[in-house]
Amino acid sequence: MELGWSESDLAFRDEVREFLDRELTPELRRAGRLMTSVYADHEASMEWQRILHARGWAAPAWPVEYGGCDWSLTQHYIFSRESILAGAPSLSPMGIRMVAHAIMGYGTDEQKEYFLPRILTGEVFFCQGYSEPESGSDLASLSMAAVRDGDDLVLQGSKIWTTHAGEANWMFALVRTTRSDRNQRGITFLLVDMTTPGITVRPLVMTSGEKVQNQVFFDRVRVPVANVLGEIDDGWTVAKYLLVFERGGGAVAPALQVKAAALAEHASTQPGPDGRPLLDDPSFAARLAEARVRADVLEVLEYRALAVLEAGGNPGPASSMLKILGTELSQRISELVLEAAGPHGRVYQPHATAPGGPVTDYEAPPDGYLSGEEWQAVAPLFYLNNRAGSIYAGSNEIQRNILAKAVLGL
Amino acid sequence: MNTFVLTSEQEMLRDGLQRFLDNRYDLATSRAAVKTGGGWQPAIWRAMAEDLGLLGATLPESAGGTGGGSTELMIIAEALGRSLVVEPYVDTAVLGAGLLHRGGGPRAREVLEGIVAGTALTAFAGAEGAGFEVVATTARREHGGWVLHGAKPVVTTAPLATHLLVTARTGGSPEGVSLFLLDFDATDPPPRSTVHRLRTVDDRVAADLVFDGVRLPADALLGTEGAAAPIVAAAVDDATAAVCAEAVGCMRRVLADTVDYTRQRTQFGQPISRFQVLQHRMVDMYLEVEQAAAATSLAMLSLDAPVPERTRAVSAAKATISRAARFVGQNAVQLHGGMGMTEELAVGHYFKRLTAIEYEFGSTSSHLARYASLTDPRAVTTSGGPP
Repeated sequence: MELGWSESDLAFRDEVREFLDRELTPELRRAGRLMTSVYADHEASMEWQRILHARGWAAPAWPVEYGGCDWSLTQHYIFSRESILAGAPSLSPMGIRMVAHAIMGYGTDEQKEYFLPRILTGEVFFCQGYSEPESGSDLASLSMAAVRDGDDLVLQGSKIWTTHAGEANWMFALVRTTRSDRNQRGITFLLVDMTTPGITVRPLVMTSGEKVQNQVFFDRVRVPVANVLGEIDDGWTVAKYLLVFERGGGAVAPALQVKAAALAEHASTQPGPDGRPLLDDPSFAARLAEARVRADVLEVLEYRALAVLEAGGNPGPASSMLKILGTELSQRISELVLEAAGPHGRVYQPHATAPGGPVTDYEAPPDGYLSGEEWQAVAPLFYLNNRAGSIYAGSNEIQRNILAKAVLGL
Repeated sequence: MNTFVLTSEQEMLRDGLQRFLDNRYDLATSRAAVKTGGGWQPAIWRAMAEDLGLLGATLPESAGGTGGGSTELMIIAEALGRSLVVEPYVDTAVLGAGLLHRGGGPRAREVLEGIVAGTALTAFAGAEGAGFEVVATTARREHGGWVLHGAKPVVTTAPLATHLLVTARTGGSPEGVSLFLLDFDATDPPPRSTVHRLRTVDDRVAADLVFDGVRLPADALLGTEGAAAPIVAAAVDDATAAVCAEAVGCMRRVLADTVDYTRQRTQFGQPISRFQVLQHRMVDMYLEVEQAAAATSLAMLSLDAPVPERTRAVSAAKATISRAARFVGQNAVQLHGGMGMTEELAVGHYFKRLTAIEYEFGSTSSHLARYASLTDPRAVTTSGGPP
């Protein structure tokens, strides 16, 4: 969709396209194409970040003074969309898109000077320490203790669903410094060096076999008070501020359009139940068309939210709507891909993919043999990992609660 | 319809099997057997054959079985589903035995005896990426035997099998599908064949098979040349009904686990089971499970009915089961939250099996299509055969 894009927007799009054409190696495109979740292969992702950084485009949403780009929101959207269309691997959102904004907003000069340039280069790689085993949807109930001892906070407890904890060298965490009547009070936003003694990372094996998620244990881990971001006990304010930066400028619909278009290609050759191409099966064709209609509509909604942001407004609960629609449509497409994959879609063959992490208890065939084609081998992993979409970043039940309250006034 | 009242023998079968599985069948051990071991637990299989008499329980006495019917089949498959048993009961004791029994002949009889005794395992190399009816593999007569050409992708149980049952075209006409019985050993495949060993997402073993001029003796042909289609259709319908019952067992277990989990998981100061939106979701899961169980019992009762009635009931069941398996599996994961996404709880393993079942023996849409054509008022004639 190019709704209302100006001449200069189109010129910008061409410039981005030309850059992507030139810089995306076949290996990088493969990593993008074979993503089994929102995370690309870690090495490919970091390699792409280095290439983007060399062009000054690793963190376009940052203020120019820190290395960002002076782009309009439409340009940000165009950049995301074109990157997806070209098959670029995704970058980890934890550093560039999340904690960096909190550091700019609440960090001391020392914190900004140390972290921001290193986040850009990839030298500092962050993971997020929010959820705990007993605090998921109800995040504010978190209880990992941080007790003041001289110039340190001493951490005791554990965090869970920590993506890339094994690869990260820093974590941004919410910790409990004070117990209070209101759960949101007494939480502190803390930057933790992952090499500090007392931290252990236990990978969690997902149903896809991938080990991208972890539980992280803290046993008397000493973190300097200087690593607090914002005020002690006022970390919830920082966390809420950060949420704003998860909104807007994102382009989920194009990724789904690309997936659905590729599926249509595959279904035009893959046999259906009666032996003819699956796309000739009216039921499958109708369900695929319905998913593609939803993707087109989602793009209009994303674009509308963008227009609100660009006009200086806050799309507010629209982000909950986009989260629900985007994740549920992605799940629907993953179902169709799995159906189209036929018998090969039942085979477990992660060696065909570039998953977001290593896999456990699996030995690839020595000759690299693949049952079916690459897309069929990826299909079941993509399907399984997609179930996380309606759980993470505020479950879709929680998002519906938000919409009921904020939009319908219930 | 008196399937809902079990005889005392049937109750004994159910209770004995359940006790056996509770005592002997461990989820982690059985997954490890597939992931890092031989693909199954031979001791379990032996016990199923010798101690429980399961492998011949639904075969007629003339075929070496104990003459049980579809009620026994339903009891067994549901119990195996409940414990997420990976050993190839349906592939061998239902599908393989069903083909052999219907195909007939002395070789079939010998292999059937082996199945009942637990010493023979069969895999059915039937489908080629579409439905079982779509066969491109060929077998032509040569030097008093047969020569086999073709490819059979993702043949479950093949790596464990002592025998393969293979469909191939023997005539030019579209009806000319024949069934062949081959001695088999995946570690030493027949000359001019390739075996690529695979593991499925639901922790079963399988293989891609390619036959590039494999020579078979004359007596490899099972039954009459060119007459395999109705035999295959009947045995596949039996197996489909069995997998439906297995799914019911899986779903009952994940529903129970989900209810338990939401009672224990506390957020916002209360068990999440108190939230009405989750209560309604679990009630919807329950409604799907009950419909699935009802559709399965109808299919089971219809297995010996005339072909149109049988195929209609089996397709109704599989369409219902596939829909239910998706809804129940997905929502069980959703209500378990992040933990449902891991290998650490049972629910993730059941979810993968339910996902495979959705597509095994035909997807929702293929069974709805078959049901639609069977019930098309313009096509239904007095003889009423399937298309």
